[in-house]
Amino acid sequence: MADRRIFEDREQFLEALRLLVREGVPRDRIRVFTPFGVPEVEEILLGKRSKVRFFALIGAASGTVTGFAFTILTSLSWPLIVGGKPIVSVPPFLIIAFALTILFGALSTFAGFLLMSRLPSPSGIRSEEEYGNAFVILVEDGGRR
Amino acid sequence: MAFLEKKGGLAVLIAAAGALMAIVSLSPAPGRGGSLLLAFLFFVAVVEGCIAAAAAGATVNARWVGSVRKELLSVTPLLLVASFLLLLLIPFVDSYPWAGRPGIWLRKDFFIGRNLAFLLLAYVTARRFAASPADGEGTKVRAAWYLFVFVVSQSLTAFDLVMSLEHPWVSTLLGGYFFIEALYGGFAVSALLCLQRSGTPPADRAHGSRSDLSDLSILMFGFSILWAGMFFAQFLTIWYGNIPEEVGFIARRVAASPMRELSVAVLFLLFFIPIPALLSTRAKSNPYVVSVVALSILSGILVERYVFLAPVVRFSPVALAIDFACLLFLFVAVVTDSRRTLK
Amino acid sequence: MTRGEGGMGNGEKYAKVDRDILAAMEKPGRLYLAGLAVAASLVVIGGILWAYQIRSGLGVAGYTHPVGWAVYITNFVFWVGIAHSGTLISAVLYLFRARYRTSFNRAAEAMTVFALMVAGLFPLIHLGRSWLFYYLIPYPNQRQLWVNFRSPLIWDVFAVGTYFTVSLVFFYVGMIPDFAAAKQHVAGIRKRIFSVLSLGWKGTEREWRHYGMLYLFLAAFATPLVASVHSVVSWDFAMSIVPGWHTTIFAPYFVAGAILSGTAMVITLVVPLRKAMNLHEYITDDHFESIAKILLFTSLIVSYAYIVEFGMASYSGNIFEMEAFRYRALGEFRYLTWAMIFCNSLVPLTLFAKRLRRNTTFLLVVSLLVNVGMWLERFVIIVTSLAHDFDPYVWGTYRPTYVEVGISLGSFGLFFLLYLLFVKNLPVLSISEIKEHL
Repeated sequence: MADRRIFEDREQFLEALRLLVREGVPRDRIRVFTPFGVPEVEEILLGKRSKVRFFALIGAASGTVTGFAFTILTSLSWPLIVGGKPIVSVPPFLIIAFALTILFGALSTFAGFLLMSRLPSPSGIRSEEEYGNAFVILVEDGGRR
Repeated sequence: MAFLEKKGGLAVLIAAAGALMAIVSLSPAPGRGGSLLLAFLFFVAVVEGCIAAAAAGATVNARWVGSVRKELLSVTPLLLVASFLLLLLIPFVDSYPWAGRPGIWLRKDFFIGRNLAFLLLAYVTARRFAASPADGEGTKVRAAWYLFVFVVSQSLTAFDLVMSLEHPWVSTLLGGYFFIEALYGGFAVSALLCLQRSGTPPADRAHGSRSDLSDLSILMFGFSILWAGMFFAQFLTIWYGNIPEEVGFIARRVAASPMRELSVAVLFLLFFIPIPALLSTRAKSNPYVVSVVALSILSGILVERYVFLAPVVRFSPVALAIDFACLLFLFVAVVTDSRRTLK
Repeated sequence: MTRGEGGMGNGEKYAKVDRDILAAMEKPGRLYLAGLAVAASLVVIGGILWAYQIRSGLGVAGYTHPVGWAVYITNFVFWVGIAHSGTLISAVLYLFRARYRTSFNRAAEAMTVFALMVAGLFPLIHLGRSWLFYYLIPYPNQRQLWVNFRSPLIWDVFAVGTYFTVSLVFFYVGMIPDFAAAKQHVAGIRKRIFSVLSLGWKGTEREWRHYGMLYLFLAAFATPLVASVHSVVSWDFAMSIVPGWHTTIFAPYFVAGAILSGTAMVITLVVPLRKAMNLHEYITDDHFESIAKILLFTSLIVSYAYIVEFGMASYSGNIFEMEAFRYRALGEFRYLTWAMIFCNSLVPLTLFAKRLRRNTTFLLVVSLLVNVGMWLERFVIIVTSLAHDFDPYVWGTYRPTYVEVGISLGSFGLFFLLYLLFVKNLPVLSISEIKEHL
């Protein structure tokens, strides 16, 4: 049976959380629900920096590579001289690569977020449990995860 | 610097440096005028850029301005030095390509006159801005006036002093390019001053607050991207249009060594080094990284001015060295002097 | 429960935010329905005229030698420009930690997405044979051709396409927590839709942690788009050698112009929105003053560009440049040029006065004038340069026909229709961010 505490006030909620941690309750059994992001919670619960940023980096890098590879390889496969420009003309291809860097970076960051947050979560969609604007601390048993 | 503590010590130093530069640049040997022009271009950009950085920060209530405002604004008297140097350049104006056929806009008296006028106006507005308190009522207005004059002054420097060397080449972007570069340099100097002031600042990441150094690093990062965008806009337009009058400008600067290597160096110093170096949050408040990046930016601006001038202007290494030494000395003296009077 | 200063505890304050913002999604009033009807009818008219154009060909538009680009391209650039301000407000101001952003950012993001949807239609309309649009998409095909990556028009496809996708993701991501909050206050099919759209968001510590980093990175990715997309659009013109088009300043000039027209459109949309939905507590005069300052600043950049362009044309001694700009200022379209300078450069100067910056009625008038002025600017740049380029033998003129006017009005109708639908069906302010800063 999980121990659930509901707070209307942010400061009281943070105090209770700090108390729980000081009492020695293991951090990974504490789950918290908030109506908006509260940065102090991250500090108290020692959350690691989100790994979503790696998705961003990989996505952006693959975007750059794809942009250049795609444009250069397709130009070389059908080498037409257009407008007197060289077959492999870097300035225009740079623009395409720039656009794809941002596109792939943004999409992969979003994908990474969904992955890391385990969203979409069918239990959340169907859930009838609504906390409204309350700050909730849920302490789970040792057995459950 | 005990000499500076004497009353008027600074003025004497400025006069001495000015006299030395006058002697060097007015001597009849070739390349003196060109060297002075290069020194002038870099110096004016950095000085006006420092004040502009402070002014821009004041208009948006930036937090980092507080720690370096006094030093940044202490370079205001150097605008008078710049005006003097402009007068020393009068004989050099005769070697501009349009000198033989003056028109309404490109004629020696109007040419020097308007640039001088805006330099002096920059001095006046900068002084008024510096005199107002940091968070005073009219401070933002005075900062805005200085910024207007700064934009015009740098644009004129670009169009008149640099672009007309390559007459009849035109680039409408060059004015904007120069004042963005000046601001960029101003932020680099601000970062160096910020480092000097507090030694190693604590990286303060509590509750999303940041140290001033981190803020300045973000500005340098952003301006690096902005600079690269403007560089690319000009380059792409010229490259794509392929019009002989315009392509010549670029061709003279990338066709052969050493200009080609220097041009590539400019790209690295102003973009490819600052961007990866300042990417991570930790690097933004790391004093070593920030000082390397700031120095890279300042040298990049210098090399770029050289690249602009080199194909069309002759230099004399001796004159160049003397001019730069004098101006660097004056800059450091003025900033150190201001720190001495800091409470 | 602790009592705050207004005698209201935190829980009540948050509930009030929910109520105020979600009140907008109540049953629509008569004024709203009238607006919806007008917008919808404009869309229908525009659609009918487009169908007519597809059937009869581009000849029913005013295109003729030498003016091959005119009102449709003007509209394209205009709407893409408007989109930029939305991203500036939501992404760039987020990176600068500007507090005043929270009152505008949802409306601004919506504006971006809808403006891009409208903008994207115009290359299709302008094609004439709109069904051939697939030529622009790079995929292996039986024609054994790839697209011409050296063409600015393809850069547009990539840049605007990227911008639309990223803006849509940014818009949606911002609303995920708000959908979760809103679903608790609605019922029936709406509740089911909001639940699905919220992806089952519960507000756990892990979700917020990853969300914070996602939002930061999306803002960081969207920020360079603000400058680069309109630069790419400006290069549609600058890459040519047409006098008046081939100039290096176009990229920053167009970006500044985009933000100018975008902030004007934000003011045009949000001033009536605030009045109609009684959101004075959340969108204050301070907020409008900040937006007005951005408008003023970008107007100064645009004025600088006008001065430099006209000045450089006479400086250059190039007879084609000089004639192109003489024609712009004194030729057939001179009234449009003067109106453009008046609306974009002179009228915003009044915003130097603080009193005027805080007067929302005055701001509304200024914003409408700026919208007109910026539309005219694109028109003047495109049409005057094409009508009057190198060879006097091909100089010509241009008059838009009712088809182009109708389709342009239809585009405005579409934009406002989408916006009105958004206002009634989605949370119009960023609920979680406002609660966070209370």
